[in-house]
Amino acid sequence: MKLSGVGSTPLSGVGTARWYRPGDLTLPEKPDPSEVESDAEQSRFEAAQATARADIETARQQAAERVGEDEAAVFEAHLQFLDDPQLVDDIERAIGGGTPAEHAVNDRFGEATAQFEGMDGRMAERADDLRDIRDRLLRALLGVETVDLSALPAGTVLLAERLTPSDTAELDPEAVAGIATVTGGRTSHAAIIARSLSIPAVVGVGEGLNRIEEGATVLIDGEAGRVVVDPDEDERAAAGGVDAPVVERAVSTADGKRIEVAANVGGSAELDPAAARGADGIGLFRSEFLFLDRQSPPDESEQYEAITTALEAFPDDRVVVRTLDIGGDKDVPYLDLPTETNPFLGQRGIRLSLGTHSELFETQLRALLRAGASEHGDDLAVMFPMVTRIEEVEAAIEHVEAVAADLEREGVEYAVPELGVMIETPAAALLADALAERLDFLSIGTNDLTQYVMAVDRENDAVADYHDPLQPAVLRAIDRTVSAAEGRDAWVGMCGEMAGDPELTELLVGLGLDELSMSAVTVPAVKQQVQQTTIDDARELADEVLTCETRAEIEAILNG
Amino acid sequence: MVRACTAKSHAMERIVAVVPEAGLHARPASKFVQTANRFDSEITVGRADGEDSVSANSMLAVTGLNIEHGEDVRITAEGDDAAAALDELEALLTTPVEDEEEASE
Repeated sequence: MKLSGVGSTPLSGVGTARWYRPGDLTLPEKPDPSEVESDAEQSRFEAAQATARADIETARQQAAERVGEDEAAVFEAHLQFLDDPQLVDDIERAIGGGTPAEHAVNDRFGEATAQFEGMDGRMAERADDLRDIRDRLLRALLGVETVDLSALPAGTVLLAERLTPSDTAELDPEAVAGIATVTGGRTSHAAIIARSLSIPAVVGVGEGLNRIEEGATVLIDGEAGRVVVDPDEDERAAAGGVDAPVVERAVSTADGKRIEVAANVGGSAELDPAAARGADGIGLFRSEFLFLDRQSPPDESEQYEAITTALEAFPDDRVVVRTLDIGGDKDVPYLDLPTETNPFLGQRGIRLSLGTHSELFETQLRALLRAGASEHGDDLAVMFPMVTRIEEVEAAIEHVEAVAADLEREGVEYAVPELGVMIETPAAALLADALAERLDFLSIGTNDLTQYVMAVDRENDAVADYHDPLQPAVLRAIDRTVSAAEGRDAWVGMCGEMAGDPELTELLVGLGLDELSMSAVTVPAVKQQVQQTTIDDARELADEVLTCETRAEIEAILNG
Repeated sequence: MVRACTAKSHAMERIVAVVPEAGLHARPASKFVQTANRFDSEITVGRADGEDSVSANSMLAVTGLNIEHGEDVRITAEGDDAAAALDELEALLTTPVEDEEEASE
């Protein structure tokens, strides 16, 4: 059985399924107020508060030791909610009026939760916190036993409807091989805590998860967002990279073709982990991260620093910086981007850089050209996103030349790096020959290329099966791109999710890619695959796959 | 309602712009409530231009205001240590805590 969900910690692990079904918290029927002894109920409530307080203190300490003080802070807020005078006064008033303690708690917390649930993201997370506290109080009041999540046997894959932040913080990363939940999203608090504990996790799997039986052997592939019951050898080997040893050096196929296996990076903090996993440089440096979560754009020197830091992290390897790719689903409030009906078909990427936001583009190019003259600047490459017309490439190159002329005039040291484009639209794939004539390299962004070739919204679950890079149309667009570059002195790489799937490494090598760039976590597994591949076999596989007219035929060949 | 009004029980108030990136949520809210609870004065907080002020000793009420970074809030305090309370609360709301935001994604 294979299930898919949202991979929230990009690691994988195999273990024994254990269901966490926190005790049944169904309340007994509410008795007539005249039958309720308010004094006794008040004492029960106070005892439950004391138990909950002690539990939260313990969770806080565990989180501080295992995860860090920042994550532990959420439990300080929990203690404050537990003692909140508004909640406590109302609960005690209800108890005084003849409501049993558990009903008083459930009713008042229910109201507070509903109030927060109606609000936006951050406030909705407070609802999770309140539910967490309510459940602690109810468990104490109803005498429901709690599972000790901190003492699970080694090799446990924990399955649950949902996990609260406190549940997750209790987990021992040494013992827990992975977690999977029916509900939840990538940015929920529990998912964030699991990530910082490096516990492989897939969330939002849906009701199908309930079909997994206690004791089954389960693979959690947090990279691909897959949960596999009774995984075979191949599935284990293919999963998110943890089992594969890190290969520091550059790798070649068994018959000697060098394939660069690089990392995609979306922040300076990801540089060292990428190097630690043996990445041969950066195949995609998402420069937009420098622009997000702030009030104004970064200036030239800040961008220069970020680029040279990346070059220093990989002193002997190439670093490919993608110029600002905003628009689409990536909004930057202070840039006043227009609201569009179809943002993915609107002003994004190079269209903004050459249009309304050319001043940002020039600042970025200045930083890049200066970084080109820095100590490791020889290894710098720059690519433009969302290209659909040759005129755009010509205009972008003119901007580069103008910036170079300015720097020359100012007497500032600079060097023009390798220039390339992302191939992520059908237009770019169809024009690949003309692009390769003008540029040093092409990098295929399979996530967007699939979206635009298949005319499918990446974010729309209802059409998720169309968003599949193994569709014949997508593979032909990739093949066309690689073939067009042959003999034109341009290298071709791939920097979409597809590049990081070790099951597809042979196919991609066979299609003729020179470079594969992926989330750092899959670098070791892909390097291992590259070394086991021979060019002849890979080409044969690719040729066979390219003759296929349906997805089903392709799958049959890949599994065969 | 008629209420005796002596000089001592006069409420003091202060308008402060919220500096932390998280607004009056998460850790800033938690610290705000903790601090307010240390003083004997009756303390309230709400939007400077609104009538939504709530008791500052309730985490539920304070986070329920949903106050974002950059908004002006009115803090009132009534009691012997009102001035000291306002000083501390103002200092808290005008200190940025950016590194925490990053750490919690």
